[in-house]
Amino acid sequence: MALLRRDEWEDLVDDIDWTPTYVDDTALFPDWLAGTGKVPRDAWGAWEVSYKVSYPDYVAIQREKEAGVYAVKAALGRSSVFPKLAEGWKTIAKAHFGAVALVEYMGMLGELRMARFGLAAAWRNTATLGALDEIRHTQVQLAVAHQLLAEDPQFDWAHKAFHTNDWVVVAARAVLDGMIAGANVVDLALQLPFTLETGFTNLQFVALAADALDVGDVNFANMISSIQTDEARHAQQGGPTLEILLEHDPERAQWAVDKTFWLSARLFAAITGPAMDYYTPLEHRRQSYRAFMEEWIVGQFMRSLADYGLRKPWYWNEFLEGLDIWHHSLHLGTWFWRQTLWWRPPAGVSRAERAWLAERYPRWEDLYGPLWDVIIANVNANRMETTFPETLPWLCNTCHLPITTYSQSPYDGRWQVRTYPLDYGRSTYHFCSKPCRQIWWQDKDLFGVKTVTERLVDGEIQPPDMAGVVAWMGLTPDVMGDDGDAYRWAEEYR
Amino acid sequence: MTGPPRRRRLRTWSALGELGRVPSEYEIVTHDTNYTLRTGRSAALEMNPSSPANLWFLTYRDRSPLQAPDWNGFRDPDQLTYRAYVTLQDEQETVVRGLLDEYSDAGHDARLPAAWLKTLALLFTAARRPAHATQLCHSYVAQMAPSSYISNCAAFAAADMLRRVSVLAYRTRELQRAHPTVGFGTADRARWETDPAWQPARRALEEALVAYDWGESFVAVNLVLRPTLDDILLRQLGETARDRGDDLTWLLLANLDLDAARCRRWSTALADYAIAQRPENADVIERWVARWTPRADAAAEALVQVLDRARTS
Repeated sequence: MALLRRDEWEDLVDDIDWTPTYVDDTALFPDWLAGTGKVPRDAWGAWEVSYKVSYPDYVAIQREKEAGVYAVKAALGRSSVFPKLAEGWKTIAKAHFGAVALVEYMGMLGELRMARFGLAAAWRNTATLGALDEIRHTQVQLAVAHQLLAEDPQFDWAHKAFHTNDWVVVAARAVLDGMIAGANVVDLALQLPFTLETGFTNLQFVALAADALDVGDVNFANMISSIQTDEARHAQQGGPTLEILLEHDPERAQWAVDKTFWLSARLFAAITGPAMDYYTPLEHRRQSYRAFMEEWIVGQFMRSLADYGLRKPWYWNEFLEGLDIWHHSLHLGTWFWRQTLWWRPPAGVSRAERAWLAERYPRWEDLYGPLWDVIIANVNANRMETTFPETLPWLCNTCHLPITTYSQSPYDGRWQVRTYPLDYGRSTYHFCSKPCRQIWWQDKDLFGVKTVTERLVDGEIQPPDMAGVVAWMGLTPDVMGDDGDAYRWAEEYR
Repeated sequence: MTGPPRRRRLRTWSALGELGRVPSEYEIVTHDTNYTLRTGRSAALEMNPSSPANLWFLTYRDRSPLQAPDWNGFRDPDQLTYRAYVTLQDEQETVVRGLLDEYSDAGHDARLPAAWLKTLALLFTAARRPAHATQLCHSYVAQMAPSSYISNCAAFAAADMLRRVSVLAYRTRELQRAHPTVGFGTADRARWETDPAWQPARRALEEALVAYDWGESFVAVNLVLRPTLDDILLRQLGETARDRGDDLTWLLLANLDLDAARCRRWSTALADYAIAQRPENADVIERWVARWTPRADAAAEALVQVLDRARTS
């Protein structure tokens, strides 16, 4: 006799369902949480992930991973490496920590919801360990960011950002809250593990780890690649859920995936897009945002859709067109409203950088060059007040990002920023795009949160000027963003 | 431009700034990480305040009868971080692995008497389902608790119950192989669903699973049901096992009881904290304890009868 192999006993870990008789099954698993809908209750028994990990294996593997990450953190934390890194990279790190650390905790709430309300025992057990993973990701990122606080108070926003009403955060919450804690567990599994984690964050984390290594931030690279190995495991929860839903309600599956992919892409364009094409120092850029999206996100997502027999989303052409547009517009916007950020965005439009952009985005000079030229002229003429906004831009009622998307008129071929309005009830809503408008219409009972700009117009933000807005967003003078290169990049245009 | 404003040199998160001392690593990574509890929110989630999810958080968390001015003042007496948790439990799993290895080599299961096997089949291997039910309750409190300090304790407790189910599953398969006719693994569900010894416990746990107020769920499970059931299914069953010469079961249950004791520590500390924060919470907790104690007592009574029979057989 000796120890049993895991596959000799693990089936019994998931052999734990029973038929309740003292309370109704519908009370134990209310449908708005369990989300079975048209799927027969028994169908969930087939739920299974391909790569399982047992509890003893989990704690052994994770203990080792934690030891690795914290050893590097301890070794490099007090060294002088970080202060010497390129400003653009520090910007990426700050934006990342603020935008991600506490979202991991939202991920934990989502995992716990699946751990409680998933209709298969195997699913609930997988999610129980998934919840631990998300605690880990919150904690390790906070630990690393905390170490950098003495370097720069902007790192305080690793913890603070999601407690504020900063517009970037409101946009992120509006997308992620609905996708995760606002959803039943079936939709949640399609939206978080299948679409957001498998489709976006896994791949972004791989790229981010490589970038961090490239610029010499070993601590960050080590942390992020360690996190990614967990994501790869718990993101498996999407596949089996999708398979079962597809058998019984393919239209619902298609909608959840389509909607989430679009909203995730919008959010990524706001944060990852500028990071890759503007913040990363030119000498470290290996791939443009569009090339990254095409190679990793689009290619991977299309393969996933094909694997499961899902259709290409209805908005596919608009999405592909957006790869040339969205993040450039959003970068221009975030730079212009830089006081509202917890990082210092580099403009990223020196002559050499513009040449790099123009080579990869043939329309860039036509659409964005003239706008940056005005800013450059104002900077060089020391008319700094004109390089700052006087109020907020109009924000999309679905993704809560600025309505700054250029699209080409089918009539005269001109590229223009336009809004896609919708009259409903006694209000007119504005959207950045037709897909955002359609998503809002289909799910309008779930939206219905005012954008930051609507709150300004309604008098909720006082005084109703930029100083009032910035204070309302929780930004203190030593944290609020400014140009990442102290405007030195403009000098060569004199 | 006037040049960059002077930067503060922050020692810790501004959210922890009022602490008046250097925060611990536990506090740095645990403090206020659930942003759905942020101050000044119009709803927990950035979506329609009348959406089902927001109404659920409002009803069962934000408007729970259990209220405190500052839940973020609560601290886990064990100060567990994720790193500490996986380190601790990997150590315990190493102990368990050592026990399982040693006793399988010694042919332990083959020597167990038939009467004791029946007790194991009823109270030990059939306990996977009540353990899982408890795991679900902890997962629920973890997602609904009004502070990340509480949520993390509950999430670790849920994982502890998965650990318990895993140890029970492992032993179920070993016992099944050694004694294929006793029903280990094959009759566990039926015993849980129909054996009179389990029905009051099953009733209590099924009802606890639909106690959706986070405070009531916490009181029902952490302060009443689990301490009662753990006392029988870990301590008393373990001691009886030792007396019947089943050292392996005794040692495994004693090891699992370390998790139970940790859960009792933070649960008691949380109840104390709630009452210290707002004395009226004592009445709230009392009321729930009064509601759940008869159910726990009924569960205990039925289970203890099995133990009594085992002790005298």
